[in-house]
Amino acid sequence: MGESAGQPVPPLTIDGHWAFDYTYYAGDAASRFFAELARGRIMGSRCPQCQRVLVPARGFCDACFVETTEWVEVSPHGTLETFTILTTSFPGLPEPPLVVGYVMLDGASSAVLNFVDGIDLADPDAAGAALLGRPPVTARFKDVGEGRITDFVFTLDEPA
Amino acid sequence: MLTQAPVTLYQGGVIRPVYLHGSAVSTTWRDASRSLTDLIFGCVQAALGDAGISAASLGAIVLAAHDLVDGRGLTNMVTAPAAAAYLKDETRLGDDGALAFVLGDARVRSGSADTCLVAAWGRASEGPIDEIAHALFDPFTARPLALTEIAVSGMRAARCLGDYPGYGRWRGGAAARRHDAAARRGHAAAPPGAPPADPSRVPPPAWPLVAGELPVWADMVAAVVLSSQPGPVRVAGVGMSTEPYDLGDRDLTGLTALRAASGQALTAAGVDVAGVEVLELDGLTLFDEALAAEAVGAAPRGEGMSLLANSDRVNPDGGGAAGYCAPAMGLVRIARAAGRLRADRRRDATTTRLALATGASVVAAQVQAAVVLEGA
Repeated sequence: MGESAGQPVPPLTIDGHWAFDYTYYAGDAASRFFAELARGRIMGSRCPQCQRVLVPARGFCDACFVETTEWVEVSPHGTLETFTILTTSFPGLPEPPLVVGYVMLDGASSAVLNFVDGIDLADPDAAGAALLGRPPVTARFKDVGEGRITDFVFTLDEPA
Repeated sequence: MLTQAPVTLYQGGVIRPVYLHGSAVSTTWRDASRSLTDLIFGCVQAALGDAGISAASLGAIVLAAHDLVDGRGLTNMVTAPAAAAYLKDETRLGDDGALAFVLGDARVRSGSADTCLVAAWGRASEGPIDEIAHALFDPFTARPLALTEIAVSGMRAARCLGDYPGYGRWRGGAAARRHDAAARRGHAAAPPGAPPADPSRVPPPAWPLVAGELPVWADMVAAVVLSSQPGPVRVAGVGMSTEPYDLGDRDLTGLTALRAASGQALTAAGVDVAGVEVLELDGLTLFDEALAAEAVGAAPRGEGMSLLANSDRVNPDGGGAAGYCAPAMGLVRIARAAGRLRADRRRDATTTRLALATGASVVAAQVQAAVVLEGA
């Protein structure tokens, strides 16, 4: 004979934590892209079929499904196509608020993401409104490159 | 040797028709009295009951879940039996529930199964949704730049505000309508304009997004039962499409994958979106829902937010404001659409209405699925 359910018990919860270390392989194309970045050059790869210059440079074109082997240096100047002002903090990353945006560099056919520096964020609404008009920006590189996407940030060509 | 066959659009109904017989959606938050498997079991049971069949009658199961969201490796191992998969033909997708629906439809339409259960879930209260979203982005070019799903929505919203005056003009009205609809369903996080009663239910915003435009996190489960036997709702057309992984290579406000997927589904159904009365469109934020309305052709470019502010046609139950957790949402949208069609038929048996439901994958809606349903 089975037991009755008895007195209700408080629901049990336990904490869990995943902490895994990964090693991500960048591959030849991305390795070269980041090596060039450390030297202050932003590189794209041209698709032989659609002729688009994809930045960051990559090994193949998604749309055409062909290898991209022609490397093209693009300008550090471009247009801030869109952005957002972040308020979320992540371990190991700069403290918010941060402006991050996609820039279409001159000579490129795809936009590249990075922080946009030097903007007064005391009034986020005012800062955001000033950036809506697709302002011109320029990539500003660190003095010593590390071969990472954070080797440069974008800065406005004219104050917001 | 394979030949290069011409590409043809999938034509619904060419092999076997597919009908939706039952559906259920479960929306809860931090109910510690129920485990994840309890939630799934309850919702699947409800869907089977709605369809009037037992688990033993199912020929196939298609499930959509995500290990990172569930916080369990090979999540479906523990959750599949709760979804009636014991000793069943089961397929697992680590992607949105609408994509699982398309696969389930294919199973029945092709004759490889007579009945198929499709289920999807996500329990936002168990894990750090924003941090999980961050982990899904590229480790070389996006994660170091703090990108999250909300951040991408923020960028879409900024572009909309810059390009289309209507987005700024109508966003308040659309948010209020969305909130009121969610409140009628009992799932609004807080009164409009007020901080959420439980701040953990709403993610931190990314400018220009404000609280009322963000999703309300919830523990979501959805389940539907498909069969080749005639039923209350017919699957008239389906479509799927995938965009590039790199966001810099996408049209962030054009949602080209959704445009393609909905076009496929509408063409297969032989209808124009103008003839579709019910639109259940997946979108992480209000701006994503507005852009989805444009992508499926329900509003001209730049006028999606106006449509949301002035019409109950899109997400009449509140969309993401009535509860959100990937990867359940596409199947939630499908279940809601089916429920609305069936309610309409009960009110008027002569009514035959159409619904379009969509679902988007993670990594900023890289993959989109669209489904056209017809009240049968």
